[in-house]
Amino acid sequence: MKYYGGCDVGSTYTKAVILDETGRIAASTILRSKINAAQSSHLAMEQCLSQIPELAKPEDLAYIVGTGYGRNRVPFAHENISEISCHAMGVHITDPTVKAIIDIGGQDIKGIAVAPDGTVKNFAMNDKCAAGTGRFYEAMAHSFEMSLEEFSTLSLKAKNVIPITAQCTVFAESEVIALVGEGKAPEEIAAGIQMAVAKRCFVMAKKAGAINQITLTGGCAKNEGLKKAIEKVLKLKVVELKTDPQLMGALGAAEFARKKGGKTA
Amino acid sequence: MKDLKHRVFFEHLLSDIKNELVSEALDAGQKALGYSCYFVPEVLMNLDGCFSVRLRAPGIADTSIATYYMSEKTCMYSRSILERAIEGGYNFFSALLSTETCSMMHRAHEHFEMLNLVKDQNEDFFVSHIDAPFVTKDYAVKHYARQLKKHVLDRLQSVYGIDVSEKKLLEAIDKHNELCRVVTEIGNYRKQDNPPLTGYEFHLIELVSECCPHDLILPYLRETLEELKTRTPDDAPWYRVRVVLAGGENDDPDFTKLIEDCGAFVVADRYCFGSLPGREEIAVRDGETALDAIARHYIETNECPRFMNPEKVHGRKQYLRQLADAYRADGLIVQQMKFCEYWEYERMYCQHVMEPEYDLPCMGIEKEYVNTSTGQLRTRFQAFVEALEMKKLAKEG
Repeated sequence: MKYYGGCDVGSTYTKAVILDETGRIAASTILRSKINAAQSSHLAMEQCLSQIPELAKPEDLAYIVGTGYGRNRVPFAHENISEISCHAMGVHITDPTVKAIIDIGGQDIKGIAVAPDGTVKNFAMNDKCAAGTGRFYEAMAHSFEMSLEEFSTLSLKAKNVIPITAQCTVFAESEVIALVGEGKAPEEIAAGIQMAVAKRCFVMAKKAGAINQITLTGGCAKNEGLKKAIEKVLKLKVVELKTDPQLMGALGAAEFARKKGGKTA
Repeated sequence: MKDLKHRVFFEHLLSDIKNELVSEALDAGQKALGYSCYFVPEVLMNLDGCFSVRLRAPGIADTSIATYYMSEKTCMYSRSILERAIEGGYNFFSALLSTETCSMMHRAHEHFEMLNLVKDQNEDFFVSHIDAPFVTKDYAVKHYARQLKKHVLDRLQSVYGIDVSEKKLLEAIDKHNELCRVVTEIGNYRKQDNPPLTGYEFHLIELVSECCPHDLILPYLRETLEELKTRTPDDAPWYRVRVVLAGGENDDPDFTKLIEDCGAFVVADRYCFGSLPGREEIAVRDGETALDAIARHYIETNECPRFMNPEKVHGRKQYLRQLADAYRADGLIVQQMKFCEYWEYERMYCQHVMEPEYDLPCMGIEKEYVNTSTGQLRTRFQAFVEALEMKKLAKEG
């Protein structure tokens, strides 16, 4: 049996997926990124390889594709492909009916329109500022002295929404602290933050050409509060993926590896 | 591919606005004339006794003082120029020739006067503002010619004694055309399948031709042209796709390099500071004065989105398509400085129409004058390259 690897080195998390030659996910892992992208990729791939007894080292894989912001620094990858193409492919092989993606990563938001063959039809990406990204959420949760999961759960309890005007992470954090100081209900502030990010996603989704449904990928896809806010703001159905949405980049990279490795074999 | 003989020298020249060739010309008693926009004809600033220097602010890191004067809602290029002027970076200028082409750059230039910049070092220094037309009709060309006479030629003659006679203007056109021929011939190598130069290298060449005294840079350009005739590229082309780079102000060769590092060969440079347009020869028609020919040339060849008459608006898109055909580009990247009043609209327009109406896949980029955080740009360029490759494969069946 031949195996193919995808390694998605993100700014916050590193993900790896190994596919067998039939396209089945044989192993996967998600771990917190180190400052050194090469080290992160090694750790992630080692964890993946340890799940398949017949594999010991990256060289045992027939082909490996690196992706994510650290894609150029995956030392064992045969090539690197942008995370935009990889997320499109990952979603396509998970659910071919999905034609639009919002990927909320650690440092950016991307809207991606998927062509019928899983390639990128169109994409849009936020500016270099961190507003509405995973970093933004971490800062907001930190203001509440909560984990991201607790923050998401908190926002779902809100009956009303307090609008957050600042988009900048730094200013939004100050605004949240001021609102908490004024005694406003934390769950309503949290819901306001979810709404602010959902609106930002609206812009990306429209730029990418979303029509009637989207799916979320990236770590923030696990944020239930954001999902609800997006459904409300975008008036689009958010499609649940049967595979962990945080793995979509690595999965797409592994699928590209399977396609390319299969050709070269 | 072996390095171009003068690549490092060109990079060195571009690292400082007052580079060694500029200093050499100043030492010889020539007057340095600063300008930023294509609406100030370069040829008029290269009459005997003076030379043109297109405004750049290499290595600028912070624009705090300029931002105080101009607000943060202005483009970073205009603020960078003002900041560099406040730092004293343009104190060697004898004049700054300005147009009110865009209000932000115009404001930056006005601050040269308001803050008494350069003039405190050189009391003859002056800033002259040209009223450039918004339309391309004959009466507008005549108005433009009158403006050039009044705000450029008359001032150079009265303040510095520059000979602006018809004979001298025709000589200046001849010299200018020679430089254009050499640069164009170099640029034409980009049309080849496996070219002997990169878009980055050409960007360096075009920029040094705009930022150095023409008579001093021309020998290096001629030598580079000769070198290219025998320069052997690697066996297989290094690029994955070919793109036209269009848009507003762009004097950063590293931006071109970033695009090329992602696999896209920048085959054509249709942006401010680029050669398309910029390096077309000026033709003097029968019965036309040199100044009238110059005015007509710079209006006719101008691709600035400031012109909003329908022929120009559609003509700009057709020009991009023609460039893509001539240079066999697979796609188009339109870049625009954040807060650019003209290119912001034009970029959006291109993103909407270039693929469906002109069959040219287009990507828009909003950027800063100094692009320090390149990770996201790299992702966008690479994704665009991958998408273009897929389209190419699909077309090839």
